[in-house]
Amino acid sequence: MSGAQAEGEADLTPILDMVFQLITFFMLVMNFKAAAFDMTLKLPVVGSAMPIDTKGQEELLILNLSPTGDLTVYGEKVDMVRYIAEEARVSRMTAKGKGMDIKDGDELPTMIVIRSDEASRFKDLYHVIKSCQEHGYRKFALKAKRPE
Amino acid sequence: MKRRHGKSSEVKLNLAAMLDMAFQLLAFFVLTFKPDPVEGQIMLRLPPPEAIKEANAKAKAGQDKNNTNPVEGIESLIITIASNGSGSIETILVGDGEVGRDVRVLDIKLENLLKDPDLLFKQVILQVGSKLRYDELMKVIDVCTKQKLPDGSQLSKLSFVELPEGAAGAP
Repeated sequence: MSGAQAEGEADLTPILDMVFQLITFFMLVMNFKAAAFDMTLKLPVVGSAMPIDTKGQEELLILNLSPTGDLTVYGEKVDMVRYIAEEARVSRMTAKGKGMDIKDGDELPTMIVIRSDEASRFKDLYHVIKSCQEHGYRKFALKAKRPE
Repeated sequence: MKRRHGKSSEVKLNLAAMLDMAFQLLAFFVLTFKPDPVEGQIMLRLPPPEAIKEANAKAKAGQDKNNTNPVEGIESLIITIASNGSGSIETILVGDGEVGRDVRVLDIKLENLLKDPDLLFKQVILQVGSKLRYDELMKVIDVCTKQKLPDGSQLSKLSFVELPEGAAGAP
């Protein structure tokens, strides 16, 4: 103990180190993709559903379909036909920027990921698929839960 | 110029402010943390609707030289799934033959049909009742995508057609 500096001061360096480690961890595991998922939807359980990692090579367009037939994207209810048309236009422009010449009606490189509630009806799903096909989307992934 | 040297000349950083800020950042990341849900998916290639061509057991791939439309040559197997009012499967028809409502029967039927090398089915067309629930539909898709074609490849080309209400097979 030094007489002049008798007051006890905690060494904050280790706690700061630990907090920075925790921040680094949370920053690394942060997943912006999950924001596109509507977690209120109850997906059906399908045996052959496999998690597939495209390793960022493939552009994905995630569409959430509610039991009432509403389409939600990033938590917002959207006008399905207009939204898909707009996304197709953007996808075509992006492909053009990469040197690919995609004309109207040609196949788009984007994969449509449909997350539909187990109670939603086929007519709503078909409406989404048909709209996507009309705008050039051919690759689809239907989301489901894997059995426990 | 003369520098003053006190007894305690070492510089001490005040870490409390930095720690405050770090805790704020940590709180933000903890509160916004959402673990990635473990979800699977069934990958499908859905060609645009084209005219259906009945499978011809005698035909061989590439036999018709005049056919310039690649989709026209794809032989299609039609599966009709009628739904009842509650959205469940009412009946399943493979071609004209009824297989009941059990997807396991459909599985066996498809397996027998698709392993025949003389039949050139490469695409399955699902005619589905408009009221059918998604979970019921996925049971059928699950069975279809498990099937292997005579060349060993997995069946992934499906097409959907909506059965209008009141149509044959629909309630």
